[in-house]
Amino acid sequence: MSSGVGVSPECLTTYQELKLGKKTKWIVYAMNKAFTEVVVEKTGETDLEDLIAQLPGSEPRWAVLDFGYESGEGKRNKICFISWSPDDSKIKQKMVYASSKDALRKSLVGVHAEIQATSYEELDPEVVHERVAKRI
Amino acid sequence: MATHGGDEVSALVLDIGSHTTRAGYAGDDSPKAVFSTSYGYVPHRPPPEAMDETGANGELIRQPRASTTTYLGEQGPNVWRPNMVVTNPFSEGILTDFAPIPHIVKYAIVDSLRCDPTEHPVLVTEPTWNTKANRERMAEIMFEDLQVPAFYIANSGVLNAFAAGKGTALVIDVGKSMASVVPVVDGFVLRKGCANSTIPLLVRAQAYSMLTQPTPHREGISLLPHHLISNKQAVDPGLPPRFTYREDRASQTTDTWRTWAEHRELDEWLANVSAVMDGGWNEQIAQTRPVKQYEFPTGYNTFFGADRFLPGEVYFNNSHMAAPDLPAPLNSLLNTSLGACEPDLRAQLLSNVVLTGGSSLLSGFSERIVNELTRSYPNQRIKLHAAGNITERRYGAWLGGSVLASLGTFHQLWISKEEWQEHGKSIVGQRCK
Repeated sequence: MSSGVGVSPECLTTYQELKLGKKTKWIVYAMNKAFTEVVVEKTGETDLEDLIAQLPGSEPRWAVLDFGYESGEGKRNKICFISWSPDDSKIKQKMVYASSKDALRKSLVGVHAEIQATSYEELDPEVVHERVAKRI
Repeated sequence: MATHGGDEVSALVLDIGSHTTRAGYAGDDSPKAVFSTSYGYVPHRPPPEAMDETGANGELIRQPRASTTTYLGEQGPNVWRPNMVVTNPFSEGILTDFAPIPHIVKYAIVDSLRCDPTEHPVLVTEPTWNTKANRERMAEIMFEDLQVPAFYIANSGVLNAFAAGKGTALVIDVGKSMASVVPVVDGFVLRKGCANSTIPLLVRAQAYSMLTQPTPHREGISLLPHHLISNKQAVDPGLPPRFTYREDRASQTTDTWRTWAEHRELDEWLANVSAVMDGGWNEQIAQTRPVKQYEFPTGYNTFFGADRFLPGEVYFNNSHMAAPDLPAPLNSLLNTSLGACEPDLRAQLLSNVVLTGGSSLLSGFSERIVNELTRSYPNQRIKLHAAGNITERRYGAWLGGSVLASLGTFHQLWISKEEWQEHGKSIVGQRCK
């Protein structure tokens, strides 16, 4: 079941920049005001902690992160997709985001791990590291 | 807004449950109409040639009740009528009698929402255990009997997960007659992990016998509804009620109406008095909990202490009830469901548990679920989401459908009347996944 919401071309070009160029480290995606299309809200060249600071406390978002970590055999970088939906969000937003996720997620090729988070603790660097390393 | 014939019209959302039907306009934050799915009718004595027959395959062929009125909604079974029979189109959570469905849908759309069904797309919810034949029959009723311009049928488990903001979730839905555990993964139901039972009916049965059977301290309590009481006097707690029974109605009250009305009283008692022991059954702790006073329509009133926790305990444990083939309690449903999932997925589901359905509003219910899960899966992180808002908890699937059907982008998902006419029943399974 899906909402039929589309993905703006900019979502993909920005993702390509993150994937190929090494400057963009994270992207925050949001639903546009009319609830018709997914758009890029913000991008950043910093790390997970800065990304978390951009996620609102009571509104859903999606994010893509180029997550760097020490694997034991040297430095690794993996792309991580985050569905952010805090429990305090309005039901309409939760519904629209949850039913539109597939449209965005399917258009992003090369995502290594996926995290569904409702609170900031679920995005703790250690938790993210574990999820990315275990790939679940 | 959905577009139809160039005009923007609101879609309608229907959630037909075994206990209540909820109907409203897409985009609203609560259903406008909520009425009993049970309905009444006064049977005429059928002429011999019109008796129901048994068909070649053993199925019951019901003769059309053309001349009988179906009594629905506010003027339905909750009004006493001479010789009115009350019946329900569901059996064990599944629609088994489609004959009254056009009446129920018309009552919802035309009488309650004051809409012309030929002008509004209609989204209907369905339980996970619905059959292919049933959803196609529902589409047929909508397109053929009601002439709706567009139709969609959406899974209530997925709607509940989405309404909680989750693409992946373990949805525990506790209604009046069915309880179910449904794993939803990336927006799709994981069929092998679905488990359901009629355990809420056993809870009601336990409450019924607990109240109506005498104890060493009191007589059996009468659940007589106010319709059958002409007057009553105030009595002190625990004393026998002083009321006058409406003898004039006695001979014309059917057993089905009386059972329906008594169960309504029972539901009132359950909603107001009963509760669940959050930490598991413990008689000593139950006795330390506050007592609750409750007055029945007869005027009889008393205090309920530890016994108000007994029916709710049946949701989690029925081993003390000696009867064969009892419906499975929630713990068994949870273990069956999670046991069918791979360990990695199980961990994800346990940290995304969604509790929904009106019966889950009993005090202590959500804490008990967390405790039961913690006991069964001690090393897992368990996080339960239960809407604090009563409307959201009761009508999660309806609300999810309301948001979905209100989106302009959803127009490409609707099955249009033209598509129905061109492709027939097969389009339902293709479109509504």
